[in-house]
Amino acid sequence: MSSPHPYSRLPQSRARVQRIAEAAVERARLTVVPRAKVPARRVPFVTLVSLMLVGGVVGLLMFNTTMQQDSFTAASLETKATDLTSREQTLQMQLEKLRDPQRLAEKATKLGMVPATSPAFIRLADGKVLGEPRPASAEDSFDIRTPVVKKPAALTPDPVVIKTRARNRGRSGDTGAASPDAGVRTGRNGATTRNQGDRSTR
Amino acid sequence: MSLRPPSARGFSRGSGLFRLRFGFIIIAMVLSVFGARLVQLQGLDPNAYAAMAEREGVVNAVLPAERGAITDRNGVDLATSVDGMMIVADPSMTDGDAAPIAAYLAEKLDLDYVTTLNRLREKDTRFQYIARRIPSTIANKALGELEDRGYKGLSVRRDPMRDYPAKDVAANLIGFIGEDEALAGLERTFDSTLSGVDGEETYEVGDGKRIPLGDSTSVAPKNGQDLQLTINRDVQWYVQRVLRNTVRSSQAESGVAVVMDSKTGELISLADYPTFDATEPLSSAKSEDDLGSRAMSDVYEPGSVQKVLTFASLIDAGKVTARTRIAVPSELRREGRDIPIHDYWQHGLLRLTAAGVLSKSSNIGTVRAAERISSADLHDYLREFGLGERTNVGVRGETNGILPDKSLWTQGTHDTIAFGQGLSVNAVQMAAAVNTIANGGERISPSLIKGSATTDAGQTVGTERTERTDVVSEDAAEQVTEMMELVADPEDGIAPAAAVPGYRVAGKTGTAQRVGKDCGCYDGTYTVSFAGFAPADDPRFTVYVVVQDPGNGGGGGSVGGPAFSKIMSYLLRKYAVAPTGTKPSTLPVEW
Repeated sequence: MSSPHPYSRLPQSRARVQRIAEAAVERARLTVVPRAKVPARRVPFVTLVSLMLVGGVVGLLMFNTTMQQDSFTAASLETKATDLTSREQTLQMQLEKLRDPQRLAEKATKLGMVPATSPAFIRLADGKVLGEPRPASAEDSFDIRTPVVKKPAALTPDPVVIKTRARNRGRSGDTGAASPDAGVRTGRNGATTRNQGDRSTR
Repeated sequence: MSLRPPSARGFSRGSGLFRLRFGFIIIAMVLSVFGARLVQLQGLDPNAYAAMAEREGVVNAVLPAERGAITDRNGVDLATSVDGMMIVADPSMTDGDAAPIAAYLAEKLDLDYVTTLNRLREKDTRFQYIARRIPSTIANKALGELEDRGYKGLSVRRDPMRDYPAKDVAANLIGFIGEDEALAGLERTFDSTLSGVDGEETYEVGDGKRIPLGDSTSVAPKNGQDLQLTINRDVQWYVQRVLRNTVRSSQAESGVAVVMDSKTGELISLADYPTFDATEPLSSAKSEDDLGSRAMSDVYEPGSVQKVLTFASLIDAGKVTARTRIAVPSELRREGRDIPIHDYWQHGLLRLTAAGVLSKSSNIGTVRAAERISSADLHDYLREFGLGERTNVGVRGETNGILPDKSLWTQGTHDTIAFGQGLSVNAVQMAAAVNTIANGGERISPSLIKGSATTDAGQTVGTERTERTDVVSEDAAEQVTEMMELVADPEDGIAPAAAVPGYRVAGKTGTAQRVGKDCGCYDGTYTVSFAGFAPADDPRFTVYVVVQDPGNGGGGGSVGGPAFSKIMSYLLRKYAVAPTGTKPSTLPVEW
């Protein structure tokens, strides 16, 4: 029975307060409001991240590809350099062969030249001839060829000549260049072989 | 879910929990397979797998050091290294096409057809050499051509070549290289200088290409150093040809020619005959002796050329002058000597000056003059001239020569040494001794290497190590030079063939008895020689020609003289040495 009392009293007082400044109280009441949701603008961020990701991946890919490509280029250039080096060396060898004093001397001898024997000079200041100039003569020449080494007869047999009738008389017109191949050939050591001739059929 | 067609609901795979469990089991199974594989790879014998991976992708390459070249004094190559290739075949692949491949290679590379064919058909092997030491351009071209024609089973490998472009020119000095190592000559003596140190490289490859940023280490090769000689290739060639001609036309056994720069002692040419072709040493040399340098290794008795040294010593010691009068009897009997000393020509009593004794090459006169000097003094002079001691120019196998110790000298030794018998020299020693006269009495140690280089015996040789010693006075050298001028004099001399028209030439012939190989005694054969220099009053070159055992009975004047003249004229012309234009020697030869 007593219970209604506080209840009954409270509403009473509250009602009273309400009554006193109902409008103000009504205005001052605090309520939990939901946090103000400013919608974050997602698009630029996602775009940025995606771009970085894609850019990174593509960049890395391109970097790798370039490096790979460069390595191929380097490899092929190295091969080329090696080739050129060896070509240069081969040409150098050819040059040295052409410059060989023996070769030059043999060529000069073939042209009928002989070594000069008596050195003489003209002094340009007064036109005086120093030394005893003498025209070179055939007696001044001497044999500069490498002596031929005589091989035993067993190593230099006489060529064996086998006469056969020409079988293909009609081919003379078109394969004139190839026909020497078909004939009897003499090898380096003088041995005669016929089997080289079948080269033309290959 | 709401969009799903209603009919799909009937086929649902049970509850979410079931699906979750099912998924986990699948994942666990897959992961355990991975795990087992991981244990297999990493737990059980991981090294074998690592090694396998390495074999697959790691290349170990040797970076070969390039062997240095041997050049002449002007940098012209006498021996160079060339990138060579070897062609190897796998006969199991080439067997079928052996004939066409062999025919092609035989033609392109100048190989023997039958040998090549047999190698291409060899049974029970997968490796055969087809050709070795071919320039790489040629090898690659041939191989490329064969591949284009569809023949397989051939490949090329690196095989460095040594090229001797001048072939036999200076071959006796330079030597040659075998398959794998230097076998003779300077190639062998200076091998450590020439060969350099190989480098090494390890890198990863994928698909035959190097992986960038892959693991790699590399040690750069250290290329060999070049060796520059004091030889001039063209002079060497000419001297060798003159020498060959001289030896062959006099039917001699062998010959040596030395050309020395009088002022510097540099050897411009050091020629030997017989010689060999350095590009094919084994087939072109007739005997093993031909492969070395006889100029350095052959000892012989110098004969009358020695008289130059004897008279230089006598004049320097103040015992005689060029005009000293010497009575020369027809023969000279000495105590303790059964055979009297003779001259090479018959004569009665001659009244010769010292100059006459030298220019006519009288043994008796020389012995009479040499009586005036003590054995010890003469020995010391000859020692100073460099006899009995290696020249150490850097050629292997050099002999000391034999100059008997002074304690062993008897009167007989003294007499014979005075005219050049009873002592032995090598050609370079003797050339350097005669050059002492040309250089005003100052001996210059000869050199063959420009700059300096260290031999395999650890000795440093070369022009930088040149030593100069005063042996005789300038006046003595001048007097001897004037005496030597008479040798090539057309009237007073015995070797007019050695003269170079227009020039003053000083020289001396030598004809010495030779000790035979078998008997150890004089066997009736001779060593003939000519040593000299020009122009006499301002010497530029000293030339020494030695011919062993001429079969035509020629002497130093008739065999050595013309060769000397040819070589000297060539040198004077090539180096543009004009005649000095002074008056020749007018020393009296008789009284």
